[in-house]
Amino acid sequence: MRERLVVAKRELASLRAEKTVLLAVAIQLFVAAFSSFLVVGLVALYAPGAAGGSATVAVAVSGNATDELAPVIDEGPAREALTYTAREDARAALERGRVDAAVHATLRPEGNVTVDAVVPEGSFRTTLAVAELGEAFEAFERQRRAELSERLERQPLPVPESPGGASFVGFTYTVLLPLLVFLPVFIAGSVAVDSLSEELERGTFELLRVTPLTLPEIVDGKALASAVLVPVQVAAWLVLLSLNGVRVADPLSVLLLAGAFGTVAVAGGSALALLVPERRSAQLLYSVGALAAFGGGLFLPVNPPNAVARLAIGSAQAGTHALVAAAAVVAVVGYAGVRALLSRRAVV
Amino acid sequence: MTPRFLRVARWEVERGADALDRRALAGVLLALLAVGAAAPTLASNAGTPDADIYPVAVSDSSPYHEPVERSGPLRPVAPGTDAVLEISGTEVRAPDSPTGRAAAEALASAVRAYNDRLMEREPDRAAAFPVSVRLRYVEVGGSTTGGAGASTSDSGDTGTDADSGGSGATDAGGTGGGSDSSGGGAASADSLGAAGSSLLGGVQQGTPGDIRPPFPLGSLVLAFLFLVPLNVAIQAYGASVLNERINRRGEALLVTPLSRSEIVAGKTLPYLLACVAVAAVVALAVGAGFLSVLAVSALAGLFLGCTFLAALFARSFKELTFLTTTISVGLTAYAFVPAIFTDVHPIASVSPLTVVVTQLTGAPVELGTLLVSMLPTALAALVCFGLGVGIYREEDLFTQRAPPAKAIDALAAHLTLRRCALWGALSIPFVLVAELFAVAVLFVLPLAVSVPLLLGALAAIEEVAKSLFLFAGFERGRLERTDATALRAGLLSGVGFAVGEKLLLITQLVGLPTLELGRLTVAPAAASGPAALVLLLAPFALHALTAATSALGARRSTRAYLGALGLAVLLHVAYNATVVTTLA
Repeated sequence: MRERLVVAKRELASLRAEKTVLLAVAIQLFVAAFSSFLVVGLVALYAPGAAGGSATVAVAVSGNATDELAPVIDEGPAREALTYTAREDARAALERGRVDAAVHATLRPEGNVTVDAVVPEGSFRTTLAVAELGEAFEAFERQRRAELSERLERQPLPVPESPGGASFVGFTYTVLLPLLVFLPVFIAGSVAVDSLSEELERGTFELLRVTPLTLPEIVDGKALASAVLVPVQVAAWLVLLSLNGVRVADPLSVLLLAGAFGTVAVAGGSALALLVPERRSAQLLYSVGALAAFGGGLFLPVNPPNAVARLAIGSAQAGTHALVAAAAVVAVVGYAGVRALLSRRAVV
Repeated sequence: MTPRFLRVARWEVERGADALDRRALAGVLLALLAVGAAAPTLASNAGTPDADIYPVAVSDSSPYHEPVERSGPLRPVAPGTDAVLEISGTEVRAPDSPTGRAAAEALASAVRAYNDRLMEREPDRAAAFPVSVRLRYVEVGGSTTGGAGASTSDSGDTGTDADSGGSGATDAGGTGGGSDSSGGGAASADSLGAAGSSLLGGVQQGTPGDIRPPFPLGSLVLAFLFLVPLNVAIQAYGASVLNERINRRGEALLVTPLSRSEIVAGKTLPYLLACVAVAAVVALAVGAGFLSVLAVSALAGLFLGCTFLAALFARSFKELTFLTTTISVGLTAYAFVPAIFTDVHPIASVSPLTVVVTQLTGAPVELGTLLVSMLPTALAALVCFGLGVGIYREEDLFTQRAPPAKAIDALAAHLTLRRCALWGALSIPFVLVAELFAVAVLFVLPLAVSVPLLLGALAAIEEVAKSLFLFAGFERGRLERTDATALRAGLLSGVGFAVGEKLLLITQLVGLPTLELGRLTVAPAAASGPAALVLLLAPFALHALTAATSALGARRSTRAYLGALGLAVLLHVAYNATVVTTLA
């Protein structure tokens, strides 16, 4: 065991010397920051106000259903209705930039209302306006349905109140967290490929072979160094997330899952590096293979990103735990496969 | 006689084919096929990560059971079991936690969707869907454009598009001749679940549930397909370049009569062609056109250019892997983020992927969009290769240094005092790429936050671009460490930079008059007015002054450089703030 640790330590030291680990962490930080930004942006598009902006969307309302529609528009905290008697005046207000949207509502003889909405094109504010208008129109639709309920054979279900302020939760658990779990996994396998094929290409592997270390010990040590980084990084992310108030219900299972997938990736990467002597081919095969494996994983009855999300939210089912167990088994079997490969052939 | 670089290219292909043995090739192809085959399925149910994440306790007899059952993120469980939400009757109990609120929100939207399905079966359509909406996107003069663009005032184009059709439905919406008049509703074809909305130009129509901000999700997922091959290609390309540097393997090529640029062109060509070929295949498969391939090939150039530099800087394969991952992530973000706003905001034109997304949504691609998306990308790629060729020589190829030191080497390799202006001008593509990305990233924030951040970011980007190569020149002894040299180098750099900036303005005047991002990034001075002449000349003075400031620091020491750079950024911010406030 000590020999293996020596190899592992040497690997980690070389990573530290090149400061590549820092770069890896920087990459992940960037990905996390960037995707969080993305979601803040997208949430801002769909739920103005949620991102901390205090923009109020002003809507010019005209038409013979103004009295019905305007109060509904005014109901929203981020909306303000300005009523106009003439449609032209409403449009003129839009032209002058005094409102963000002009809405003309006509009550038809059948009792329904047709709404003609005009928004300026090609500006970010428009997106806010459209999102707010959509919300207002839906509320208006509910109200009209209730008023016309005698004419309906089936009654719509009352829509439960949505408290709001939770737009980021879904994203954090279903996208960000899986991303932070699987990115270290992917990188670990890539590092495993590099650390073996680089020695093979430079010819320094021979130097290692003449040391008292056995071949399995060398490979074990290198694999250990790459694999151990995965749960360490993921643990760091979990701590960081919990500092930001994101509670992870079952951190141990998440770490176990990350470790297992990391070992699978490292086993795959090591096997590729041993089988395909040229580093470029090995790395290419690894990236494409990892991509395919991740894509294929999404077709499993319990897909891995979903499993991570469920473990974190605390709504894991039997299937989720089965996936964790299965991943651990695959990791053990996979690494045993690498060892079998080593004993079968004199390497390269 | 074939050009000599083609021989290098052929050699690169043959050697690559030899090294990549048949099994490996078969494996790659198989995996690629699997990914390709799975992509459409994945694209169609892109929501899987949130499947069944919130258990909801609801009895089988409850009317809410069906909406919960049919919702993606919700999953019904028997009452009494552990659940996020509990429904009894019409009462919903949610814990006051982020998860509880998120689940309650999901429930509300599930019930809304359920109601719409229920009403579909009603005979009395007027009562079932009592509100029908038609939403039009029109060009408005002097609009209430929010976002970062508003700060620099729209004084240039007020009220040219007067309301022509006040009486009823005839309304010449969107004829204002803007470069983005095709935006708006065109996206609704694949905006999230806009079923039943018909689209005619900039119109969205349907029930209130169909009214959504345009978001071309499907097209974005497909556009991602163009990026995947690039990320794979740069792995192989970077390895090939680094291979030359291991055990002095590349020496043989260096001693041939081939010039360095011929070697580099030859080595790069097969990968560029492969990228373009794959992009063409993807384009055929997903129904994008020639322009998409063109735009993606510019992006491919930038991917390869950055990877080329990375492979020249890296000390080992491991380091290269991390560098290429950084490049992958960074450039993917650069291509992807702005494309999200394809139908929302002209800022999207920054990314070549926008061309792809636009074509996929069936809208025509404007010349301006094509130029803005391709030009900075392609130019930046060329400058990357230029820098790399500069250090593609024995003394740099076979030495090991930390990547930042190598980068300094590359910047300084062929720098002379006279060329400072040229270097300043050549930094423009990168500045543009970085600034456009900064705008794309920051414009969603509230104005009060985004404008100061943006002013700071733009100033910092420009100051670093103008002075980093000067610093490199002093560090590597290419420039004499005297105040006189520093002043001259700084002035030249600033003037070169300002000239480069003006060239960009010309492309804007030709093809991109309505791009407000242009007004904010490259030149607040683009605004017309009585002070036009002053504004035309002021940037020269500013850039020369700040670059000289940084240069004076750079000639002394690293620390002095950083200090002077900070001062230059502050000066620049002050200038920007003055321009913005006086013009607003």
